[in-house]
Amino acid sequence: MTTEPHTISVETGKPRANGPRLAGPRRFLQRNGWALGSVIGGLLLWEFVSRVLVASKLFLASPSQILIAMVRLAQTGELQKDITISAIEFFIGYVAASLIGIALGLLMASSRAWKQALQPWVSGLYATPTIALAPLFILWFGVGISSKVVVVIVLVVFPVVINTEAGLLTTSPNLIETVRSFGANSRQIFFKVSLPSALPFIFAGLKLGIGRGLIGVVVAELFGSRAGLGQLISQSADAFNMPDLFAGVVVLAAAGIAMTSGFAWLERRLLPWRE
Amino acid sequence: MPDTKLSVVGLSKQFGELNVLENISADVAKGEFISIVGPSGCGKTTLLRIIGGLEKSSAGTVRLDDRVIDGPGRDRGFVFQQDNLLPWRNILANAEIGPEVGGYANTEQRSRTLSLLKLVGLEGFSHYYPRQLSGGMRQRVNLARALAVNPDLLLMDEPFSALDAQTREIMQTELLRIWEEGRKTVLFVTHQIDEAVYLSDRVFVLARRPGRINRIVDIDLPRPRPLALKRTPEFVAYVDLIWKLIEEDVRVSVLEEHA
Repeated sequence: MTTEPHTISVETGKPRANGPRLAGPRRFLQRNGWALGSVIGGLLLWEFVSRVLVASKLFLASPSQILIAMVRLAQTGELQKDITISAIEFFIGYVAASLIGIALGLLMASSRAWKQALQPWVSGLYATPTIALAPLFILWFGVGISSKVVVVIVLVVFPVVINTEAGLLTTSPNLIETVRSFGANSRQIFFKVSLPSALPFIFAGLKLGIGRGLIGVVVAELFGSRAGLGQLISQSADAFNMPDLFAGVVVLAAAGIAMTSGFAWLERRLLPWRE
Repeated sequence: MPDTKLSVVGLSKQFGELNVLENISADVAKGEFISIVGPSGCGKTTLLRIIGGLEKSSAGTVRLDDRVIDGPGRDRGFVFQQDNLLPWRNILANAEIGPEVGGYANTEQRSRTLSLLKLVGLEGFSHYYPRQLSGGMRQRVNLARALAVNPDLLLMDEPFSALDAQTREIMQTELLRIWEEGRKTVLFVTHQIDEAVYLSDRVFVLARRPGRINRIVDIDLPRPRPLALKRTPEFVAYVDLIWKLIEEDVRVSVLEEHA
C-alpha cells in the first residue's frame, strides 16, 4: 500500500480531557488552582461577613457553623434519615420521568398524529411553572412519598420529552439513506441510526432534569411532609435556625453537583465519539 | 454485448412536471468501469440513485443480471458523495454496517472487512472514530463500506468532489488499483471530465432537459494508467471531445443558475 503523507495524516486520537495523567498535588494545583482559590476565598469571605458584618445567627450562618450543624445532625441520625427520604423520592420520580419522557419523545418523533396530539400539552406544561401545583398534588396524594414523586415526574418529564423528540428529528437524512442503501428495514434504521444519533440530546434532557427534580423534591416537601431535606429546611426556617437550614441546602447543592458531574462522566464513557 | 451485467431499458423519471430523465437505455458489461458525466441538472445522480434503488423510476426497467431492481439491496454498493459515516461507530464498525444489516456479520466477515480496510490503505485505523480521520481517509472508509457487502455493482456518486485537488488525484489512482484487484462493475458519476476519462472504459455523456444519453465515448487508453497519462495528447483529445459535447449545455445551465 502506498502511503501518501497528506492522506494518511491523522490527528492524535486522544480526547483532550484524558491527556497525560500525572498524579500528585502539584499537578492538581496547576490545573485547578484558580477554581480552588475562588472557592476558598468565597468561603473565607462568607465566614467574615457572617461573623463580623452580620454577626447574628438569626440571619446568616457561617460555613464553620454550618459544618458543625451538619456534624450534629449526622450524629443524631436525623440528616441521614432526611437524605434517605429525599433521595428515594428523587430517584423514583426521576427514573419514572426518564422512562416516560423518552417513551413520549419516541412517540412524538414516530408519528404525526401523536406529535399533534401531544405537542400542545408538552409545550404548554413545559412553559408553565408546574411547581406551583405542588400544594395540589400534596392534597391529592398525601404528605408521604408519592406526592413528591409526582411533583418530580411533572418537573423532569418535559425536558426529557422535548430533547428526545428533537434528537430523533435531527437525525441526518443522509445517514439514514446510507444505511437504507444496504437494505436496512425501519427497525434497523431506528436502532442503528436514529437512536444513537439522538443519545446526546437525550442525555442533555436528563441532565436538565437533575436540577429540576431536586427543586421538585424540596419544594414539594416544603408544602407538607413528615421528613426529608425540604422539611429540615422549612422547620429550621420556622425556628430561625440558620445553621440547620444551610446544612440542608449544602447537602442539596452537593447532591446536584455530584449527579451532574456523574452524568458528565457517564456521557464521556457512553459517547466517546463526541469531541 | 457479451456478459451483460446491468441493463437499463427505456428509463424515465419525472419530478412533477419536470422531465429529469427521458428514455435512457444502456447495457454495461461485467467488470466494466463506466463514468457518467453531464452538466448539472442532467439527472446523472438521479440515474445512479434509481439504479441503487434509492428512488423509483417513472417508467422503464433496470436489470442487474436477470433481477429487476425495485429497491435498495446488498447486490449493489453505494459510495456517497459525502462519506456519511456514523460518527458513533469506529472505522471497522462503519465498514461492517452492510453485513450487519444483512445479518451475516461473523468472524469470517470480520476478517474480510479488515482486509478491505487494508486494501483501501487504512490498516491499523479500525478503532479510530470518523472525526479523527481526514476527508480522504473517510472516503476510503466509504469505499470499503460499499465493498464489504461484496456487491455485483459499485455505484459511486461524485465520491471525490469534496476532496482537494491533490488528494483527488491520488484517490483516482487508488480507486483504479482497487478496481484492478477485484474488477467490479462500476458506475461512477462525476462532473470532472478528466476524472471520467482517466478512470473509465466508457464514458456516458448526458444532455439535459430532458436528461438523456447524448453520446457514449469509448476510452481506448491502455491500462494500468499512470497519472502521467493525463498529460498525453490522446488523453487531452478525449477530454476535449467530451467537453465539446456538453459545452453548450453547461453554458445554458450556468446562465440559468445565475438568472
